[in-house]
Amino acid sequence: MNPAFPSRRRALQSLGCGFGYLALAGLASQQNARAASAANPLAPRAPHHKPRAKRIIFLFMQGGVSHVDSFDYKPALLEQDGRMLDFNDLRSIAKDGKSPQQRVMKPLWNFAQHGRSGMWGSDLFPEICKHMDDLCLIRSMHTEGIAHGPATLFLHTGSTNFIRPSMGSWLSYGLGSENENLPAFVSLSPSLGNGGPRNYGNAFLPAVYQGTAIGRPGVPAKDATIGNLRNPGSPEEARRQFALLQDLNAEQLRSKPGESELEAVINSYELAWRMQGAAPATLDIDSESPETRALYGIGEKTTDNFGRQCLLARRLCESGVRFVQVNYSDNSNNPAWDQHSNIKKHGDHAAAVDKPIAGLLADLKQRGLLEDTIVWWGGEFGRTPYAEKNGTGRDHNPAGFSLWVAGGGFKPGHVHGETDEFGHHAVTDKVHMHDLHATLLHALGLDHEKLTYRYAGRDFRLTDVHGHVVHELFS
Amino acid sequence: MRRTPVTLTLAAILSAHAAADPGTDFFENKVRPLLAQRCSECHSAEKKVKGGLRLDSREAWIKGGDTGPAITPGQPEASLLIEAVRYANRDLQMPPKQKLPGGEIAILEQWIAMGAPDPRSDDAPKTKQRGLSLEEGRKFWCYQPLHKADPPNVQHADWPLTAIDRFLLARMEKDGIQAAPDATLPVLARRLSFALTGLPPSPEQVDTLLTDTQTQGRNNALSKMVDELLASPHFGETWGSHWLDIARFAESSGGGRTLLFKDAWRYRDYVRESFNSGLPIHQFIREQIAGDLLPHKDTDEQRRHLIATGFLALGPTNYEEQYKQQLRFDIIDEQIDTLGRSLLGQTLGCARCHDHKFDPVPQHDYYALAGIFASTRTLHNYTDNVARWITHPLPAAPEDEPALQAHEQHIASLQSELKAAQTALAKASKNVAEASSSPGRPIAPSELPGIVLDDQDAKVVGQWKHSTHVRSYVGKGYLTDDNKEKGACTITFTPQIPKTARYDLRLAYAHAQGRANNVRINILHADGEDTVFIDQSGPPPIDGRFVSLGKFRFEKDGAGYVLISNADTKGYVTVDALQLIEEDAPPSPALATTTGAPSKNPASKTPQPPKEKDSPERARVKSVEAEIKNLTTKGPKRDTAMIVREDDAIADTQIRVRGIERQRGPSVPRGFLQVALAGPAPALPAKQSGRLELAEWLVSSDNPLTARVLVNRVWFWLFGAGIVRTVDNFGTTGELPTHPELLDHLALQFIQEGWNLKTLVREIVLSRAWQLSVQPPSKQDPENHLFARANRRRLNAEEIRDAILHASGRIDLAQGGPNIAGAGDIDANTSSAQNIEYAYQFTDLRRSFYTPAFRNKRLEAFEVFDFANINQPVGQRNVSTVAPQALYLLNSPFVRDQARAAAQRTMALAASDPERIDAAYMRILGRQPSERERTLCTQYLATNDPGIEGWTQIHQMLFASIDFRYLD
Repeated sequence: MNPAFPSRRRALQSLGCGFGYLALAGLASQQNARAASAANPLAPRAPHHKPRAKRIIFLFMQGGVSHVDSFDYKPALLEQDGRMLDFNDLRSIAKDGKSPQQRVMKPLWNFAQHGRSGMWGSDLFPEICKHMDDLCLIRSMHTEGIAHGPATLFLHTGSTNFIRPSMGSWLSYGLGSENENLPAFVSLSPSLGNGGPRNYGNAFLPAVYQGTAIGRPGVPAKDATIGNLRNPGSPEEARRQFALLQDLNAEQLRSKPGESELEAVINSYELAWRMQGAAPATLDIDSESPETRALYGIGEKTTDNFGRQCLLARRLCESGVRFVQVNYSDNSNNPAWDQHSNIKKHGDHAAAVDKPIAGLLADLKQRGLLEDTIVWWGGEFGRTPYAEKNGTGRDHNPAGFSLWVAGGGFKPGHVHGETDEFGHHAVTDKVHMHDLHATLLHALGLDHEKLTYRYAGRDFRLTDVHGHVVHELFS
Repeated sequence: MRRTPVTLTLAAILSAHAAADPGTDFFENKVRPLLAQRCSECHSAEKKVKGGLRLDSREAWIKGGDTGPAITPGQPEASLLIEAVRYANRDLQMPPKQKLPGGEIAILEQWIAMGAPDPRSDDAPKTKQRGLSLEEGRKFWCYQPLHKADPPNVQHADWPLTAIDRFLLARMEKDGIQAAPDATLPVLARRLSFALTGLPPSPEQVDTLLTDTQTQGRNNALSKMVDELLASPHFGETWGSHWLDIARFAESSGGGRTLLFKDAWRYRDYVRESFNSGLPIHQFIREQIAGDLLPHKDTDEQRRHLIATGFLALGPTNYEEQYKQQLRFDIIDEQIDTLGRSLLGQTLGCARCHDHKFDPVPQHDYYALAGIFASTRTLHNYTDNVARWITHPLPAAPEDEPALQAHEQHIASLQSELKAAQTALAKASKNVAEASSSPGRPIAPSELPGIVLDDQDAKVVGQWKHSTHVRSYVGKGYLTDDNKEKGACTITFTPQIPKTARYDLRLAYAHAQGRANNVRINILHADGEDTVFIDQSGPPPIDGRFVSLGKFRFEKDGAGYVLISNADTKGYVTVDALQLIEEDAPPSPALATTTGAPSKNPASKTPQPPKEKDSPERARVKSVEAEIKNLTTKGPKRDTAMIVREDDAIADTQIRVRGIERQRGPSVPRGFLQVALAGPAPALPAKQSGRLELAEWLVSSDNPLTARVLVNRVWFWLFGAGIVRTVDNFGTTGELPTHPELLDHLALQFIQEGWNLKTLVREIVLSRAWQLSVQPPSKQDPENHLFARANRRRLNAEEIRDAILHASGRIDLAQGGPNIAGAGDIDANTSSAQNIEYAYQFTDLRRSFYTPAFRNKRLEAFEVFDFANINQPVGQRNVSTVAPQALYLLNSPFVRDQARAAAQRTMALAASDPERIDAAYMRILGRQPSERERTLCTQYLATNDPGIEGWTQIHQMLFASIDFRYLD
């Protein structure tokens, strides 16, 4: 169904049936509940223009992957390895305005050209590199925030410090949901640290647009589920108890006829009952074929956990979820990819995600889903081309880094932008995180300047007063 | 580029005229096309005018944009345009996507050096005035002085009980609207009890109201019940929670690296106690803004004043922001925004970047306030990698203070004793070291306790020379930088940590003449990164080999390193080995060896004979250390609080252009909101921040906003809708008051009666209007703007949880105090502190007011039932109706467990099914069941387990029912 033109029947169906939202948009403030039109805020909404894609899977590599060890090939790093050179080190400058010389550190992985496009990638991600011709690689990213917290919040909400809705919440607000039994915005195993719930929070948007967390770091993906889906009693007991509730509520409502708000509550129980029946099936990846599971690396020790998350992301997308964030993350202050020392550990993390991501790309492609699904891979920033003083790790680098998007109308096998000769600062065709936000919204049919929400006396948007759509990325 | 024909013609004429001028020639041939191609998209009147800058005429670029003139003719080096195109400053790079080719930058440089000839004249319309001017603004209702109006006369003179009723009825009569009938007594009992204490009435309270009504009349009976509820200690909890919403109260910072606010509970208690004790609200406000500057009559008051300032410190601060000026500014911004919304009903945050677009708040006023907060200290210091708030010691009660001070002095003297003992030990070790520096004193790493990494195990960067010259080394020698290549040599130890623990980290170096005295060492440990400096000009204090770098926590297999650098050193830097000794490890014979003097027999691993025991110096150090530890853990502890105080430097602050911290504009004298000032701007003291004056202004009669905003909030908390519906926004984008005279009447009366909250609450709930029944929406007034009927109100998250616990009888009604286990004495910036939050199990059964308010981990019921977003001041919570709420009530173990406990209670109370059904309805819904309800429950028991299971299910479904979730 084209979300732009919901049929009357569909509109009626979805009335009171978005993820748990039971009618009554206007309930957001109680006193005007009576005046509220009985519309479902999660009903599919018309986009601003014809969309290229319907949904996003964001593979969040928390901590910051080193672009100069993965997708940004810089021969100068090999040539100048070990030399002390001048770099504008952002952290030093932020702290005391000075920047001491830094020691160039070569990539620890070998680079080669891949596919027909001949794009460079290192053997850090051998499986992803096999899909190079599907990727649209942006090598000129730059963003705000030198520490994880600010940069991670900026990535998700477009602000390092203000309380703002996350991108998935903006999308749910802008487009609504395509599934009445599932949330529009799901974050799989999100970190409690570095912004925590704010990274999938609705901030001042109505609560219905908040992301739903499924699972959390440290809990195996196979145990992740939506809260309170299971009734402790037998199915028969649960049914009878539910019938009692409906009877009691009907009796209570009898003395208060015409109260749409109370009817919405009753509907919410009915929807909950349906979700209880339907959602577990969507979350159950055991129903997938052994071949599919193997494709994602499920069952293999290193890849099982992230593989499950990637496969679940595909299943959620198929069920109409707009924005699925798959987190490779943890709760610590030096999360996952944050190799200030021993950059070699990047290899362990890559081993955990490489095959599942390649599997996801292959699976989406073979199902024809890649055409209208955007897969977005990246972290909150990149890493420096020079070593930390310990000589074995790299610091954060928000001034220049790489990420890729695939599918959803983005140019496949395409490279956009450049960093300087060392990979430190983006210099050519720079893409700011605001620009990426604007571009992703555009791909989904939303104009980032029009997607606004009035709060505390003014209109807010994801990109604040910034952001340009990077049209060159679209095919 | 598209140009209008007019411009084209003009350009043609101008260029024709100026053909002979080489400057203009240069402009026309080189510069104009460049500007058109590269800049005009964002900097011309035709397209966009970003940052206020236009480059389409000489006047425009001389005037410049938000950051000032773009071009200084003749001086490329002084021109912002050149700085921007050179990409030298990361915050100012133009064009934003890509640097211009060198040739084009050269053209611009050359052009400006020539004096920037530009024949284009400014024919663009002038930008229009934004928002309201101050004069216009003063005419807007909320900025006008409070206006006294007598309660109007009404036709139905027998209807009103109070002045409030007369104001409301007059408007109803004018609009031809009939007031709803009065609510029944059981409905009112439940409504009152929840409104004033957040808890359901006990069946006994309902009974008392009914009997009192018969003996004393309805109004007297209600009045009596109201007085009892106002006197309840639970009043402060419930009304305190209203305040905590607008104070964005939380017990951790959230944001990036969430830090635990271990003392925040004291602020929560302060609020509760203030409301319970009837502290006048103007004093309550003064204390929160400037408690540290107020006089106090005793220690108790002094403590309260200090704790109150936590209001300004509790925000969702990103303490790890690396640019510390930015961090300071973010905090100031958050404080102004919170102050504006909570007390003034103003969206002041809008004026951070530019004059307010709608309200009469110029950017000037924002920075006048910012100067006050910039002169206030909220951070412990401005240099920490991860910053911290101020943890301030509180005075103890006078009777406890002498003992506490004696205790503190005792510890202080022990600490100086320890220092002396350490010096003595170092001296003794030096002697030993010197004595032992003869050949043949090396020791193998395997002979040392703990984890030992020799220099050979380290990652070496730069030119280090191997040496064995000084013989007291570990392993096969040590490394020296040979006093060369300063800044280019580092050595990094990356120990494998077998066990999560705190370790004493020790570095061995080879001492001799000419050693550096400021060797920088970076330590990455489980709780962050630290830098220490060691002095190698003296002998190593421990065994003549090691110096302690401090104690740090490392996690099993976690990241961690110790990096020694020769940067900025004068003299030789040597590195021999690293040793990690687990703190509180069981004493082992080997440990005794290292902590003692170097062993004469390093090969010996057998238990040491008595002669190997500690030297007298070491024994002394150890005993003093133990004594200090004992005293600090067992002795009395001084209370601490999260506070703000005056900063060391008091100064006005500069406007930040477009809100960007680094882009400074002119300085603005500290001050308040001009539009809300009745008289001339008050002078602020040169040596104080001005917070005290700000606090006084907030509650002064010159300020029409504060009392109005507060009275409206109280009205909203009781009626479910404000007289001004946008309770946090009284500005031009907010709604207008439905009853402006009533609002001012209440505000003036509130001031007159000494800002007494309980008096105001009493006045409102004893009005007839508040006691009306809920009725379906009327056609004339569907949104109930006239308050002609009661609004049905949904129980909020805390009320649902508390009412369930109340019905189950499990509720713990203990008042006050902390409620986060383990948070009392913990360093907030550690993983263990964060893990308290991340791994928190919400199992306590205290009232929801005390539920730990972590910003990154909430109680599930709070998330599900629209608890306020505790990252920002929220005067009015969202209300949503979503399936997760239904799932929670149907399936959550918490609700199921409480339903079981409630069922057990009911079953113990009565023996027959009908009696039990009545009892359950009375306890959970505060009323008798209808016949049909009785039948439904009876039938359910007949077809299901008639025992505890069936009763549990019935109780749970009553918790899920509409009448439980809503108040009539």
